[in-house]
Amino acid sequence: MIDLDWYPLWNSLRIAAISCVLVFFFGIFFAYYAARLPRVLKGILDVILTLPMVLPPTVCGYFLLLVFGVKRPVGMFLLQYGIKFVMTWYGGILAASVVAFPLMYRTARGAFESFDKTLAYSGQTLGLSNTYIFWRIRMPACRQGILAGTVLAFARALGEYGATSMLIGYTPGRTATISTTVYQLWRTNDEKGAMFWVLINLAISTVVLLTVNMLEARQKKAVKA
Amino acid sequence: MKKPIALLLVLMMIVALAAPSASAADETELIVFAAASMTETMNQIKELYEAAHPGVVLVYNFDSSGTLKTQIQEGADCDVFISAAPKQMNQLDASCDAEKNPDGLDFVEQGSRINLLENKVVLAVPEGNPKGIESFDQLAELLKAGDVFLAMGNSDVPVGQYTQKILAFYGLNEEDLAKAGCITYGTNVKEVTTQVSEASVDCGIVYATDAYSAGLDSVDAATAEMCGQVIYPAAVLNVSKNPEEAQAFLDYLTGEEATAVFESVGFSPVEKETASQKEVSLSQSGS
Repeated sequence: MIDLDWYPLWNSLRIAAISCVLVFFFGIFFAYYAARLPRVLKGILDVILTLPMVLPPTVCGYFLLLVFGVKRPVGMFLLQYGIKFVMTWYGGILAASVVAFPLMYRTARGAFESFDKTLAYSGQTLGLSNTYIFWRIRMPACRQGILAGTVLAFARALGEYGATSMLIGYTPGRTATISTTVYQLWRTNDEKGAMFWVLINLAISTVVLLTVNMLEARQKKAVKA
Repeated sequence: MKKPIALLLVLMMIVALAAPSASAADETELIVFAAASMTETMNQIKELYEAAHPGVVLVYNFDSSGTLKTQIQEGADCDVFISAAPKQMNQLDASCDAEKNPDGLDFVEQGSRINLLENKVVLAVPEGNPKGIESFDQLAELLKAGDVFLAMGNSDVPVGQYTQKILAFYGLNEEDLAKAGCITYGTNVKEVTTQVSEASVDCGIVYATDAYSAGLDSVDAATAEMCGQVIYPAAVLNVSKNPEEAQAFLDYLTGEEATAVFESVGFSPVEKETASQKEVSLSQSGS
Protein backbone atom coordinates (compact mmCIF):
# COMPACT_ATOMS: atom_id res chain seq x y z
CA MET A 1 0.00 0.00 0.00
CA ILE A 2 2.72 2.47 0.91
CA ASP A 3 5.42 2.12 -1.70
CA LEU A 4 8.91 3.37 -0.99
CA ASP A 5 7.87 6.11 1.36
CA TRP A 6 11.02 7.19 3.21
CA TYR A 7 9.19 9.01 5.95
CA PRO A 8 9.59 6.26 8.60
CA LEU A 9 13.38 6.41 8.26
CA TRP A 10 13.57 10.18 8.65
CA ASN A 11 10.98 10.13 11.44
CA SER A 12 12.65 7.33 13.42
CA LEU A 13 16.06 8.97 13.15
CA ARG A 14 14.91 12.38 14.28
CA ILE A 15 12.87 10.94 17.15
CA ALA A 16 15.82 8.81 18.26
CA ALA A 17 18.31 11.69 17.92
CA ILE A 18 16.20 14.25 19.80
CA SER A 19 15.28 11.72 22.50
CA CYS A 20 18.93 10.80 22.84
CA VAL A 21 19.94 14.43 23.40
CA LEU A 22 17.12 15.04 25.90
CA VAL A 23 17.85 11.82 27.75
CA PHE A 24 21.59 12.60 27.77
CA PHE A 25 21.11 15.84 29.68
CA PHE A 26 18.30 14.64 31.93
CA GLY A 27 20.13 11.39 32.60
CA ILE A 28 23.37 13.01 33.75
CA PHE A 29 21.48 15.70 35.64
CA PHE A 30 19.58 13.15 37.69
CA ALA A 31 22.53 10.81 38.02
CA TYR A 32 24.68 13.62 39.45
CA TYR A 33 22.14 15.08 41.85
CA ALA A 34 20.47 11.84 42.93
CA ALA A 35 23.76 10.76 44.49
CA ARG A 36 23.60 13.74 46.81
CA LEU A 37 20.16 13.06 48.25
CA PRO A 38 19.52 11.58 51.70
CA ARG A 39 19.28 7.81 51.62
CA VAL A 40 15.50 7.32 51.73
CA LEU A 41 14.74 9.96 49.13
CA LYS A 42 17.49 8.62 46.93
CA GLY A 43 15.97 5.13 47.12
CA ILE A 44 12.48 6.28 46.19
CA LEU A 45 13.67 8.54 43.39
CA ASP A 46 15.84 5.75 42.07
CA VAL A 47 12.88 3.38 41.83
CA ILE A 48 10.69 5.95 40.06
CA LEU A 49 13.40 6.87 37.59
CA THR A 50 14.25 3.25 36.78
CA LEU A 51 10.63 2.12 36.50
CA PRO A 52 10.19 2.69 32.72
CA MET A 53 13.04 0.30 32.08
CA VAL A 54 11.43 -2.48 34.07
CA LEU A 55 7.84 -1.94 32.98
CA PRO A 56 6.67 -3.40 29.66
CA PRO A 57 6.60 -0.67 27.00
CA THR A 58 2.83 -1.09 26.64
CA VAL A 59 2.39 -0.33 30.34
CA CYS A 60 4.50 2.81 29.86
CA GLY A 61 2.38 3.68 26.83
CA TYR A 62 -0.79 3.26 28.85
CA PHE A 63 0.50 5.58 31.58
CA LEU A 64 1.52 8.16 29.00
CA LEU A 65 -1.97 8.05 27.50
CA LEU A 66 -3.45 8.39 30.97
CA VAL A 67 -1.49 11.60 31.52
CA PHE A 68 -1.27 13.15 28.07
CA GLY A 69 -4.49 11.87 26.48
CA VAL A 70 -6.58 14.62 24.94
CA LYS A 71 -9.40 14.07 27.41
CA ARG A 72 -7.15 14.07 30.48
CA PRO A 73 -6.34 17.18 32.53
CA VAL A 74 -2.69 17.52 31.47
CA GLY A 75 -3.55 16.71 27.85
CA MET A 76 -6.37 19.25 27.76
CA PHE A 77 -4.14 21.90 29.33
CA LEU A 78 -1.41 21.38 26.76
CA LEU A 79 -3.97 21.35 23.94
CA GLN A 80 -4.76 24.98 24.72
CA TYR A 81 -1.21 25.84 23.70
CA GLY A 82 -1.50 23.72 20.60
CA ILE A 83 0.63 20.92 22.06
CA LYS A 84 -0.75 17.42 21.57
CA PHE A 85 1.45 14.44 22.33
CA VAL A 86 -1.16 11.94 21.13
CA MET A 87 -1.06 11.13 17.40
CA THR A 88 1.80 13.49 16.61
CA TRP A 89 5.40 12.79 15.65
CA TYR A 90 6.80 14.64 18.67
CA GLY A 91 4.70 12.37 20.89
CA GLY A 92 7.14 9.73 19.71
CA ILE A 93 9.94 11.75 21.34
CA LEU A 94 8.07 11.65 24.63
CA ALA A 95 7.51 7.89 24.42
CA ALA A 96 11.10 7.13 23.37
CA SER A 97 12.60 9.45 26.00
CA VAL A 98 10.58 7.91 28.81
CA VAL A 99 11.70 4.38 27.99
CA ALA A 100 15.30 5.31 27.17
CA PHE A 101 15.86 7.56 30.19
CA PRO A 102 16.53 4.81 32.77
CA LEU A 103 19.28 3.37 30.59
CA MET A 104 21.17 6.66 30.51
CA TYR A 105 20.41 7.39 34.14
CA ARG A 106 21.64 4.05 35.51
CA THR A 107 24.74 3.92 33.35
CA ALA A 108 25.67 7.50 34.17
CA ARG A 109 25.11 6.91 37.86
CA GLY A 110 27.32 3.86 37.72
CA ALA A 111 30.00 5.86 35.95
CA PHE A 112 29.77 8.78 38.41
CA GLU A 113 29.90 6.55 41.43
CA SER A 114 33.14 4.94 40.31
CA PHE A 115 34.62 8.36 39.62
CA ASP A 116 37.76 9.03 41.61
CA LYS A 117 36.71 11.96 43.81
CA THR A 118 40.31 12.99 44.52
CA LEU A 119 40.39 14.39 40.99
CA ALA A 120 37.45 16.64 41.83
CA TYR A 121 39.07 17.66 45.10
CA SER A 122 42.30 18.53 43.33
CA GLY A 123 40.30 20.71 41.01
CA GLN A 124 38.70 22.46 43.94
CA THR A 125 42.03 23.11 45.63
CA LEU A 126 43.12 24.72 42.37
CA GLY A 127 40.13 27.04 42.62
CA LEU A 128 38.15 25.65 39.68
CA SER A 129 34.36 26.17 39.56
CA ASN A 130 31.97 23.27 40.08
CA THR A 131 30.71 23.59 36.53
CA TYR A 132 34.26 23.39 35.21
CA ILE A 133 34.98 20.39 37.40
CA PHE A 134 31.84 18.64 36.21
CA TRP A 135 32.23 19.19 32.47
CA ARG A 136 36.04 19.18 32.18
CA ILE A 137 37.10 16.69 34.84
CA ARG A 138 34.24 14.40 35.86
CA MET A 139 32.66 13.93 32.45
CA PRO A 140 35.87 13.10 30.54
CA ALA A 141 36.87 10.73 33.32
CA CYS A 142 33.53 8.94 33.07
CA ARG A 143 33.62 9.03 29.29
CA GLN A 144 33.28 5.27 28.79
CA GLY A 145 30.19 4.91 30.92
CA ILE A 146 28.57 8.05 29.53
CA LEU A 147 29.21 6.93 25.97
CA ALA A 148 27.83 3.47 26.69
CA GLY A 149 24.72 5.00 28.24
CA THR A 150 24.21 7.33 25.29
CA VAL A 151 24.49 4.50 22.77
CA LEU A 152 22.06 2.36 24.74
CA ALA A 153 19.64 5.27 24.96
CA PHE A 154 19.85 5.96 21.23
CA ALA A 155 19.37 2.29 20.37
CA ARG A 156 16.41 2.02 22.73
CA ALA A 157 14.84 5.17 21.34
CA LEU A 158 15.30 3.97 17.76
CA GLY A 159 13.79 0.59 18.54
CA GLU A 160 10.85 1.83 20.60
CA TYR A 161 7.59 0.19 19.56
CA GLY A 162 5.01 -0.50 22.31
CA ALA A 163 4.70 2.89 23.96
CA THR A 164 5.15 4.66 20.62
CA SER A 165 2.40 2.65 18.93
CA MET A 166 -0.05 3.34 21.75
CA LEU A 167 0.69 7.03 22.05
CA ILE A 168 1.08 8.11 18.44
CA GLY A 169 -0.55 5.27 16.49
CA TYR A 170 0.31 4.73 12.85
CA THR A 171 -0.38 7.62 10.49
CA PRO A 172 1.57 7.26 7.26
CA GLY A 173 3.55 10.39 6.53
CA ARG A 174 2.94 11.84 9.98
CA THR A 175 3.71 9.46 12.84
CA ALA A 176 5.03 6.28 11.20
CA THR A 177 8.33 5.04 12.61
CA ILE A 178 10.38 2.11 11.33
CA SER A 179 9.11 -0.17 14.08
CA THR A 180 5.41 0.64 13.63
CA THR A 181 5.80 0.47 9.86
CA VAL A 182 7.34 -3.00 9.98
CA TYR A 183 4.46 -4.21 12.15
CA GLN A 184 1.88 -2.64 9.86
CA LEU A 185 3.45 -4.02 6.69
CA TRP A 186 3.72 -7.49 8.22
CA ARG A 187 0.09 -7.31 9.35
CA THR A 188 -1.07 -6.39 5.86
CA ASN A 189 1.00 -9.16 4.27
CA ASP A 190 3.55 -6.87 2.61
CA GLU A 191 6.49 -9.22 3.19
CA LYS A 192 8.81 -7.32 0.85
CA GLY A 193 8.05 -3.99 2.47
CA ALA A 194 8.56 -5.37 5.97
CA MET A 195 11.88 -6.99 5.01
CA PHE A 196 13.04 -3.72 3.41
CA TRP A 197 12.60 -1.81 6.65
CA VAL A 198 14.09 -4.61 8.72
CA LEU A 199 17.25 -4.39 6.62
CA ILE A 200 17.35 -0.60 6.87
CA ASN A 201 17.12 -0.84 10.64
CA LEU A 202 19.86 -3.49 10.71
CA ALA A 203 22.06 -1.20 8.62
CA ILE A 204 21.57 1.78 10.93
CA SER A 205 22.17 -0.27 14.06
CA THR A 206 25.30 -1.83 12.58
CA VAL A 207 26.71 1.56 11.58
CA VAL A 208 26.03 3.01 15.04
CA LEU A 209 27.68 0.10 16.83
CA LEU A 210 30.71 0.07 14.51
CA THR A 211 31.17 3.81 15.05
CA VAL A 212 31.01 3.40 18.80
CA ASN A 213 33.50 0.54 18.75
CA MET A 214 35.85 2.64 16.62
CA LEU A 215 35.62 5.56 19.03
CA GLU A 216 36.29 3.31 22.00
CA ALA A 217 39.28 1.73 20.28
CA ARG A 218 40.72 5.15 19.49
CA GLN A 219 40.32 6.24 23.09
CA LYS A 220 42.08 3.17 24.36
CA LYS A 221 44.92 3.88 21.96
CA ALA A 222 45.11 7.50 23.14
CA VAL A 223 45.25 6.39 26.75
CA LYS A 224 48.05 3.93 26.05
CA ALA A 225 50.10 6.47 24.14
CA MET B 1 26.23 -15.92 50.19
CA LYS B 2 26.21 -17.95 46.96
CA LYS B 3 24.28 -21.01 48.22
CA PRO B 4 21.10 -19.21 49.38
CA ILE B 5 20.92 -17.30 46.09
CA ALA B 6 21.30 -20.45 44.03
CA LEU B 7 18.63 -22.14 46.17
CA LEU B 8 16.28 -19.20 45.67
CA LEU B 9 16.71 -19.29 41.89
CA VAL B 10 16.04 -23.03 41.78
CA LEU B 11 12.89 -22.57 43.89
CA MET B 12 11.68 -19.80 41.57
CA MET B 13 12.14 -22.06 38.57
CA ILE B 14 10.28 -24.93 40.21
CA VAL B 15 7.37 -22.66 41.07
CA ALA B 16 7.27 -21.26 37.55
CA LEU B 17 7.26 -24.71 35.98
CA ALA B 18 4.79 -26.26 38.41
CA ALA B 19 2.14 -23.54 38.30
CA PRO B 20 0.49 -24.27 34.91
CA SER B 21 -0.02 -27.99 35.59
CA ALA B 22 -2.15 -27.13 38.61
CA SER B 23 -5.24 -26.61 36.40
CA ALA B 24 -7.94 -29.28 36.23
CA ALA B 25 -7.75 -31.86 33.45
CA ASP B 26 -11.38 -33.02 33.59
CA GLU B 27 -12.98 -30.12 31.76
CA THR B 28 -13.27 -29.74 28.01
CA GLU B 29 -11.61 -26.57 26.83
CA LEU B 30 -13.23 -25.01 23.78
CA ILE B 31 -10.99 -22.51 22.08
CA VAL B 32 -12.96 -19.89 20.17
CA PHE B 33 -11.29 -17.38 17.86
CA ALA B 34 -13.72 -14.52 17.38
CA ALA B 35 -13.58 -11.12 15.73
CA ALA B 36 -12.71 -8.31 18.14
CA SER B 37 -16.11 -6.71 17.59
CA MET B 38 -17.71 -9.67 19.37
CA THR B 39 -15.82 -9.21 22.64
CA GLU B 40 -18.66 -7.97 24.82
CA THR B 41 -21.34 -10.31 23.50
CA MET B 42 -19.18 -13.42 23.53
CA ASN B 43 -18.11 -12.73 27.11
CA GLN B 44 -21.77 -12.54 28.13
CA ILE B 45 -22.52 -15.75 26.26
CA LYS B 46 -19.58 -17.47 27.95
CA GLU B 47 -21.25 -16.98 31.32
CA LEU B 48 -24.57 -18.30 30.07
CA TYR B 49 -23.06 -21.28 28.25
CA GLU B 50 -20.69 -22.36 31.00
CA ALA B 51 -23.51 -22.21 33.53
CA ALA B 52 -25.68 -24.42 31.33
CA HIS B 53 -22.84 -26.76 30.39
CA PRO B 54 -20.60 -27.45 33.37
CA GLY B 55 -17.54 -29.32 32.19
CA VAL B 56 -17.00 -27.00 29.24
CA VAL B 57 -14.67 -24.05 29.59
CA LEU B 58 -14.64 -21.45 26.84
CA VAL B 59 -11.30 -19.87 26.04
CA TYR B 60 -11.45 -16.84 23.80
CA ASN B 61 -8.99 -15.17 21.48
CA PHE B 62 -10.32 -11.79 20.25
CA ASP B 63 -8.49 -9.94 17.53
CA SER B 64 -8.91 -8.74 13.97
CA SER B 65 -10.19 -11.56 11.78
CA GLY B 66 -7.11 -11.23 9.59
CA THR B 67 -4.82 -11.78 12.57
CA LEU B 68 -6.90 -14.77 13.68
CA LYS B 69 -6.88 -16.30 10.21
CA THR B 70 -3.08 -16.01 10.16
CA GLN B 71 -2.82 -17.63 13.57
CA ILE B 72 -5.03 -20.53 12.45
CA GLN B 73 -3.01 -20.88 9.30
CA GLU B 74 0.18 -20.99 11.37
CA GLY B 75 -1.18 -23.90 13.41
CA ALA B 76 -2.83 -22.33 16.45
CA ASP B 77 -5.16 -24.58 18.42
CA CYS B 78 -8.72 -23.55 17.69
CA ASP B 79 -12.14 -25.21 17.74
CA VAL B 80 -14.50 -22.49 16.48
CA PHE B 81 -13.75 -19.49 14.26
CA ILE B 82 -16.08 -16.52 13.90
CA SER B 83 -14.91 -13.95 11.37
CA ALA B 84 -16.17 -10.40 10.85
CA ALA B 85 -16.28 -10.86 7.09
CA PRO B 86 -16.65 -13.78 4.68
CA LYS B 87 -13.19 -13.01 3.23
CA GLN B 88 -11.17 -14.50 6.09
CA MET B 89 -13.41 -17.57 6.40
CA ASN B 90 -13.22 -18.11 2.62
CA GLN B 91 -9.43 -18.08 2.84
CA LEU B 92 -9.62 -21.11 5.14
CA ASP B 93 -12.47 -22.92 3.38
CA ALA B 94 -11.43 -25.65 0.95
CA SER B 95 -14.85 -25.54 -0.73
CA CYS B 96 -14.08 -22.02 -1.98
CA ASP B 97 -12.42 -21.54 -5.35
CA ALA B 98 -8.84 -20.37 -5.85
CA GLU B 99 -9.91 -16.75 -6.16
CA LYS B 100 -11.32 -16.67 -2.65
CA ASN B 101 -8.90 -19.19 -1.17
CA PRO B 102 -5.61 -18.41 -2.92
CA ASP B 103 -3.44 -20.53 -0.65
CA GLY B 104 -5.77 -23.53 -0.92
CA LEU B 105 -6.09 -23.83 2.85
CA ASP B 106 -8.38 -26.41 4.38
CA PHE B 107 -9.31 -25.60 7.95
CA VAL B 108 -13.09 -25.36 7.88
CA GLU B 109 -15.08 -28.43 8.86
CA GLN B 110 -17.32 -28.85 5.82
CA GLY B 111 -21.00 -28.63 6.63
CA SER B 112 -20.49 -26.63 9.83
CA ARG B 113 -20.15 -23.19 8.25
CA ILE B 114 -23.05 -20.82 8.76
CA ASN B 115 -23.65 -17.10 8.42
CA LEU B 116 -24.15 -16.18 12.04
CA LEU B 117 -24.68 -12.45 12.33
CA GLU B 118 -25.12 -9.24 10.44
CA ASN B 119 -23.59 -5.96 11.56
CA LYS B 120 -23.53 -2.39 10.29
CA VAL B 121 -20.55 -0.18 9.58
CA VAL B 122 -20.96 3.24 11.17
CA LEU B 123 -19.16 6.56 11.43
CA ALA B 124 -18.37 7.17 15.09
CA VAL B 125 -17.29 10.45 16.65
CA PRO B 126 -15.80 11.36 20.04
CA GLU B 127 -17.96 12.83 22.77
CA GLY B 128 -19.19 16.27 21.78
CA ASN B 129 -18.35 15.69 18.10
CA PRO B 130 -15.60 18.37 18.06
CA LYS B 131 -15.31 18.38 14.29
CA GLY B 132 -19.07 18.48 13.75
CA ILE B 133 -19.17 15.53 11.35
CA GLU B 134 -22.71 14.46 10.56
CA SER B 135 -22.54 11.99 7.69
CA PHE B 136 -20.40 9.87 5.41
CA ASP B 137 -21.09 12.36 2.60
CA GLN B 138 -19.67 15.15 4.72
CA LEU B 139 -16.71 12.99 5.70
CA ALA B 140 -15.97 12.41 2.02
CA GLU B 141 -15.94 16.17 1.41
CA LEU B 142 -13.63 16.77 4.38
CA LEU B 143 -11.29 14.00 3.23
CA LYS B 144 -11.11 15.51 -0.26
CA ALA B 145 -10.18 18.83 1.34
CA GLY B 146 -7.65 17.11 3.61
CA ASP B 147 -9.40 18.67 6.58
CA VAL B 148 -10.13 15.72 8.84
CA PHE B 149 -8.27 13.03 10.80
CA LEU B 150 -9.90 9.62 10.39
CA ALA B 151 -9.11 6.36 12.17
CA MET B 152 -9.78 3.17 10.25
CA GLY B 153 -8.77 -0.49 10.40
CA ASN B 154 -5.80 -1.49 8.25
CA SER B 155 -6.27 -3.60 5.14
CA ASP B 156 -5.97 -6.84 7.14
CA VAL B 157 -8.95 -5.93 9.33
CA PRO B 158 -12.49 -6.58 8.01
CA VAL B 159 -13.79 -3.20 9.14
CA GLY B 160 -10.79 -1.68 7.37
CA GLN B 161 -11.74 -3.57 4.22
CA TYR B 162 -15.32 -2.29 4.47
CA THR B 163 -13.93 1.22 4.95
CA GLN B 164 -11.85 0.84 1.81
CA LYS B 165 -15.04 -0.01 -0.07
CA ILE B 166 -16.71 3.10 1.31
CA LEU B 167 -13.74 5.25 0.25
CA ALA B 168 -13.89 3.71 -3.22
CA PHE B 169 -17.66 4.39 -3.31
CA TYR B 170 -16.92 8.10 -2.88
CA GLY B 171 -14.15 7.99 -5.45
CA LEU B 172 -11.44 8.72 -2.87
CA ASN B 173 -7.91 7.42 -3.27
CA GLU B 174 -6.78 5.84 0.00
CA GLU B 175 -3.08 6.18 -0.76
CA ASP B 176 -3.36 9.90 -1.47
CA LEU B 177 -5.32 10.42 1.72
CA ALA B 178 -2.75 8.45 3.69
CA LYS B 179 0.11 10.48 2.20
CA ALA B 180 -1.75 13.65 3.14
CA GLY B 181 -1.80 12.39 6.73
CA CYS B 182 -5.60 12.22 6.95
CA ILE B 183 -5.79 8.56 7.95
CA THR B 184 -4.42 6.65 10.90
CA TYR B 185 -4.56 2.86 10.91
CA GLY B 186 -5.58 0.60 13.78
CA THR B 187 -4.66 -3.10 13.92
CA ASN B 188 -8.16 -4.12 14.96
CA VAL B 189 -11.57 -2.53 15.39
CA LYS B 190 -11.15 -2.11 19.14
CA GLU B 191 -8.01 -0.04 18.64
CA VAL B 192 -9.93 2.25 16.27
CA THR B 193 -12.79 2.46 18.78
CA THR B 194 -10.39 3.39 21.57
CA GLN B 195 -8.79 6.10 19.46
CA VAL B 196 -12.23 7.63 18.88
CA SER B 197 -13.16 7.31 22.58
CA GLU B 198 -9.94 9.02 23.60
CA ALA B 199 -10.65 11.79 21.07
CA SER B 200 -7.22 11.19 19.55
CA VAL B 201 -8.89 11.43 16.13
CA ASP B 202 -11.80 13.42 14.66
CA CYS B 203 -13.81 10.31 13.78
CA GLY B 204 -13.49 6.59 13.13
CA ILE B 205 -15.23 3.94 11.08
CA VAL B 206 -16.25 0.98 13.25
CA TYR B 207 -19.17 -1.40 13.63
CA ALA B 208 -22.48 -0.30 15.12
CA THR B 209 -21.95 -2.85 17.87
CA ASP B 210 -18.55 -1.41 18.84
CA ALA B 211 -19.91 2.13 18.89
CA TYR B 212 -22.79 0.99 21.09
CA SER B 213 -20.60 -0.99 23.48
CA ALA B 214 -18.14 1.89 23.85
CA GLY B 215 -20.90 4.46 24.27
CA LEU B 216 -19.86 6.36 21.18
CA ASP B 217 -22.10 8.53 19.01
CA SER B 218 -22.55 7.02 15.59
CA VAL B 219 -23.64 9.78 13.25
CA ASP B 220 -24.20 7.73 10.10
CA ALA B 221 -24.49 4.10 8.99
CA ALA B 222 -23.12 2.75 5.72
CA THR B 223 -25.64 1.28 3.31
CA ALA B 224 -25.20 -2.07 1.60
CA GLU B 225 -24.52 -0.09 -1.58
CA MET B 226 -21.50 1.56 0.00
CA CYS B 227 -19.74 -1.43 1.51
CA GLY B 228 -21.84 -4.51 0.92
CA GLN B 229 -23.53 -6.55 3.62
CA VAL B 230 -21.54 -7.08 6.78
CA ILE B 231 -21.90 -10.79 7.40
CA TYR B 232 -20.15 -12.72 10.15
CA PRO B 233 -19.61 -16.38 9.18
CA ALA B 234 -18.89 -18.97 11.86
CA ALA B 235 -17.56 -22.51 11.54
CA VAL B 236 -16.07 -25.43 13.42
CA LEU B 237 -12.48 -26.07 12.32
CA ASN B 238 -11.34 -29.49 11.17
CA VAL B 239 -8.29 -29.20 13.46
CA SER B 240 -10.60 -29.04 16.46
CA LYS B 241 -9.79 -31.43 19.26
CA ASN B 242 -13.43 -31.41 20.43
CA PRO B 243 -15.57 -31.31 17.29
CA GLU B 244 -18.85 -32.39 18.97
CA GLU B 245 -18.63 -29.84 21.75
CA ALA B 246 -17.59 -27.25 19.18
CA GLN B 247 -20.63 -27.98 17.01
CA ALA B 248 -22.86 -27.91 20.10
CA PHE B 249 -21.50 -24.45 20.94
CA LEU B 250 -22.05 -23.26 17.38
CA ASP B 251 -25.65 -24.51 17.52
CA TYR B 252 -26.09 -22.65 20.80
CA LEU B 253 -24.97 -19.42 19.14
CA THR B 254 -27.90 -19.60 16.71
CA GLY B 255 -30.34 -20.30 19.54
CA GLU B 256 -32.69 -17.88 21.30
CA GLU B 257 -30.55 -17.03 24.33
CA ALA B 258 -27.45 -16.19 22.33
CA THR B 259 -29.42 -14.28 19.72
CA ALA B 260 -30.93 -12.10 22.45
CA VAL B 261 -27.43 -11.21 23.67
CA PHE B 262 -26.24 -10.39 20.15
CA GLU B 263 -29.31 -8.27 19.40
CA SER B 264 -28.83 -6.29 22.62
CA VAL B 265 -25.74 -4.56 21.20
CA GLY B 266 -26.94 -4.16 17.64
CA PHE B 267 -26.16 -7.41 15.81
CA SER B 268 -28.90 -8.95 13.65
CA PRO B 269 -29.18 -12.70 13.34
CA VAL B 270 -28.97 -14.13 9.85
CA GLU B 271 -31.66 -16.73 9.18
CA LYS B 272 -30.45 -20.31 9.44
CA GLU B 273 -30.04 -21.38 5.83
CA THR B 274 -30.66 -24.61 3.98
CA ALA B 275 -27.77 -26.17 2.06
CA SER B 276 -28.84 -24.67 -1.26
CA GLN B 277 -29.21 -21.17 0.20
CA LYS B 278 -25.75 -21.56 1.67
CA GLU B 279 -24.28 -22.25 -1.76
CA VAL B 280 -25.95 -19.16 -3.18
CA SER B 281 -24.70 -16.92 -0.39
CA LEU B 282 -21.21 -18.42 -0.50
CA SER B 283 -20.95 -17.57 -4.17
CA GLN B 284 -22.16 -14.02 -3.53
CA SER B 285 -20.12 -13.32 -0.44
CA GLY B 286 -16.39 -12.90 -0.11
CA SER B 287 -14.36 -10.20 -1.76
